[in-house]
Amino acid sequence: MVGLPLLVAVPLGLAFCLPILGLASKRAVAYVPVLASLFNLVVSISLIPQALEKPVVAYMGGFSPPFGITLYAGPVGLFMSTLVALAGLVVSVYALVYIDKGPTVKYHTLFLLLLIGATGMVLTGDIFNLFVFFEILTISSYALVAYFGDRGGLEAAAKYLVLGAAGSGLMLLGIGLLYGLTGTLNMADIAARIGSVPPVSAFVSLALIVVGLGIEGAVFPLNGWLPDAHSSAPSTISAILSGIAIEVGLYGVVRVVFTVFGASNILLFLVILAVLTLLVGEICAFAQKNIKRMLAYSSIGQIGLILFAVAVASSASIAGGLFQLLSHTLSKVVLFLAAGYMIHRSGSTEISSLEGMGSRMPLTSFAFAVAAFSLVGLPPFAGFPSKFLIVRAAVAEQGVIFLVLIGLVLFGTVIEGAYFFRVIQALFFKKKENKPERHDAPALALVPIFLVVVIIVAIGVWPDAITGLLDSAASELLERAEYIRSVLG
Amino acid sequence: MSFLHNYIYYIGAAGLVLIGLLIILAKHHLIKVIIGLSILDTGVNLFLIAVGYIKDGTAPIFSRPDLDPGRMVDPVPQALVLTSIVIGVAILALALGLAVKLHREFGHLDLRKIKELKW
Repeated sequence: MVGLPLLVAVPLGLAFCLPILGLASKRAVAYVPVLASLFNLVVSISLIPQALEKPVVAYMGGFSPPFGITLYAGPVGLFMSTLVALAGLVVSVYALVYIDKGPTVKYHTLFLLLLIGATGMVLTGDIFNLFVFFEILTISSYALVAYFGDRGGLEAAAKYLVLGAAGSGLMLLGIGLLYGLTGTLNMADIAARIGSVPPVSAFVSLALIVVGLGIEGAVFPLNGWLPDAHSSAPSTISAILSGIAIEVGLYGVVRVVFTVFGASNILLFLVILAVLTLLVGEICAFAQKNIKRMLAYSSIGQIGLILFAVAVASSASIAGGLFQLLSHTLSKVVLFLAAGYMIHRSGSTEISSLEGMGSRMPLTSFAFAVAAFSLVGLPPFAGFPSKFLIVRAAVAEQGVIFLVLIGLVLFGTVIEGAYFFRVIQALFFKKKENKPERHDAPALALVPIFLVVVIIVAIGVWPDAITGLLDSAASELLERAEYIRSVLG
Repeated sequence: MSFLHNYIYYIGAAGLVLIGLLIILAKHHLIKVIIGLSILDTGVNLFLIAVGYIKDGTAPIFSRPDLDPGRMVDPVPQALVLTSIVIGVAILALALGLAVKLHREFGHLDLRKIKELKW
């Protein structure tokens, strides 16, 4: 009970202290995000066994719901917050060596705020609090996209900001409407009362909130900002935006649709949107020559796949979708971090300039290859069991439409394989004329990358280690009555 | 007239939101787009206040027996608006900061000509 508020409070307190600490020592500031995410990782994992039996609910300030803010840590929330903390830990260790110029104190402060926004969003049980954490997440990511201050970064940040701010305005409008209809902001209380609300008003409110969150979740057609932002940001920020921020946006959409509104009648619409997102993302990724843009489009495709699996809304498919979310986060963090030092060494983001990197940076290229294979879905990596679960769950659904859609999804996966193998080919099988000397990424950057590579292989070999958590997460999303009862008592 | 009388704040809020959206979508100058965002935000704030507003209502002070609880204005939306204004200020400041940097790099703020990144 004590641990849950600390997940938000400790990093937030540290983030406020960072600018002051920065006056004393710029070097020390870089270690604070490492400590904060390590703390969050340990606390999140230690809460999981408790949450599997009964969700952990904390009432802020001792106010009983529906007054005051509740934090709700069920299996979904803790799964996501563990993932956020793990990705945050990996990226912040990598950033110790990678972020060496520019306003580093501001970078680390904003990075920590971004992690807090993500953690808070997945743990909160109050819809306005969800909005506030969402804003913390997005405002810090707007600023971080423009970190280098170059033309591309500024342009991408401006696009992202205008789109994101308009979306969050609409989301707030939806929340205001929801408050006017139900008279409460507590998600469980809203869920209990939404049945007696006029359906048209509830739908308008749902649409506004989903649009606001969908912009961050990069659901087609709201994803125009993503390739620019992800490719112009520093590689560490691309990794965290791609591995954490869009997943958290998607979590928001799923939580609102499943738990708050219980809107099972828009799920087919979401499934079709998801397949469109996947096809657009994969086809655009295939056409890219810039490696970071390719990875960014691939994130859009993966988001489509995750949303597809979750919106099919059977217990097995939601578990598969969350599994895919895990394997996407792990793979994309490795891909962006490995690509970061490859770009640093070759001086160009073009895929053609990465030829021969397999002999020049063998360890980095090896990690890149493992993550790419996992994302495509080859055994024995984490991407294989997740994609397998999704396909099996979708085929088990009745109806020809799911067969057609799963066919399109598999077609998207084939395209994904094609463009990743093209990069692998450039890395390992194309030799440069003059042999450059071996110059791998620094050890402090390789350690976190290989930590994730080990996790990818471990989960790929023993998927049973996490399926228990994923199954109870799926049942948390499907059983609204249970959610309402565990908060309101 | 009673329709107008009852719903004037909602009409005003919807008008501001739509004007803001129109400016964001139609204008090419970044500063104008930021002004549009600001108007959109104002519309949302007005809407939130209107949700909790009661005509001729009083502040919700329960320790004063002369105030009628049925005529008290809902304080929650006002707290929300306070938060929303603070968030709006942060976004506005960041947007204007970006606009200054963009102007230094490009020499203008015409969004039609700032397009070095493509699909």
